[in-house]
Amino acid sequence: MDTRTLPTLPGIVTKLNSLADNEKSSIQEMARLVSSDQVLSARILRLANSPSYGFYRVATISNAMILLGVDVVKSLILSSSIFEIMEKSALGLWEHSLGAGVAANIIAKRLSLPDCEEIATAALLHDIGKVIVRLKLQDEYDVLLAKTAESGSTLHELEREMLGTDHSEVGGWLGKNWFLPEKLVVPITFHHNVAGAFCHQVKTAVVHFADVLIKASGFGFSGDPFVPALQPVAWNMLGMTEPLLAEIVEELEEKLVDTKNFSLEIQSTDETKT
Amino acid sequence: MRFCMQRIPISLAKPGMVLAKDLVRPENPTGPAICGKGMELTESLVERLRNMGIQSITVEGHPIWMEGDKTLEDLLQELDHRFSRVSQDPLTRSLKDICRKYLINSMGE
Repeated sequence: MDTRTLPTLPGIVTKLNSLADNEKSSIQEMARLVSSDQVLSARILRLANSPSYGFYRVATISNAMILLGVDVVKSLILSSSIFEIMEKSALGLWEHSLGAGVAANIIAKRLSLPDCEEIATAALLHDIGKVIVRLKLQDEYDVLLAKTAESGSTLHELEREMLGTDHSEVGGWLGKNWFLPEKLVVPITFHHNVAGAFCHQVKTAVVHFADVLIKASGFGFSGDPFVPALQPVAWNMLGMTEPLLAEIVEELEEKLVDTKNFSLEIQSTDETKT
Repeated sequence: MRFCMQRIPISLAKPGMVLAKDLVRPENPTGPAICGKGMELTESLVERLRNMGIQSITVEGHPIWMEGDKTLEDLLQELDHRFSRVSQDPLTRSLKDICRKYLINSMGE
């Protein structure tokens, strides 16, 4: 596949990368650069205020960079075009991704893990591969989706069988191409195979859990309705217990009310614009 | 007595509803509660909560039925369907039981 035909990689990212590599540059400088693109800034701020992060009042790009970290803001800029496609043509997948971000944030906070924002971002991005596969192989993917309904195989297995790759591999590959940090690429690549993660296993385990929990709740639509099996390696790695899981499920269900509102608000603002 | 509660967006909050959970600021969820559970909502309280940026609250009972709301029976059936491919897996099974209990608790009469 050729990355150049993919949804655009904003030129701002190249500049941001060189700024980030320079130790002398400040957050303010980077923020000023991003703020120069108003449409992009608005999109980033909207995501920074989404329930996936739980801050609610991030008013400026420099605020977002301080609260979420430069890496997270950079990832959101890179993926903003993918999210735009999701909002317009795959609303169920968009809601599934937002919900997974919320779930990952809850789990990471409950377990007092470092890098909550990175973990939430990895969960938000975990299915970007699906957008790419669908974009590139529209007809094949429609056949494949229809098949998941009748066959007993998971979407993931069918992708492997029919396409020779799967959405997690494609997503990880895209992340690498975008020079996203490994702490995001690894969880995206291995969210269906936690044992395969060679580093960042805890983050990968959280993203796997977030994906399973959000499918269990029935929020959004990721392509098929079926809950994948919770992997024991992820369960053990996080030291999960049933009472803790029950608390997480309850908190998630409550936050999903806000998440649904957030998604509806985005849809209505998009409608008034067009 | 079975106790049930519903999470509703603030736009649907009405005077007379009773908070089923302590209300905290969304930006400071571990901080002190703004309103304690058991408090009855009034017109001015709802207005104040809205101005504070509260997006949703948990109230006692199940006062709001929206169009397209499903019955408990439907929800449990959908839950079975979603878990139909992993019904033999013990860990996923315990997740399903947790979800089931949550649904029953939030929808019970």
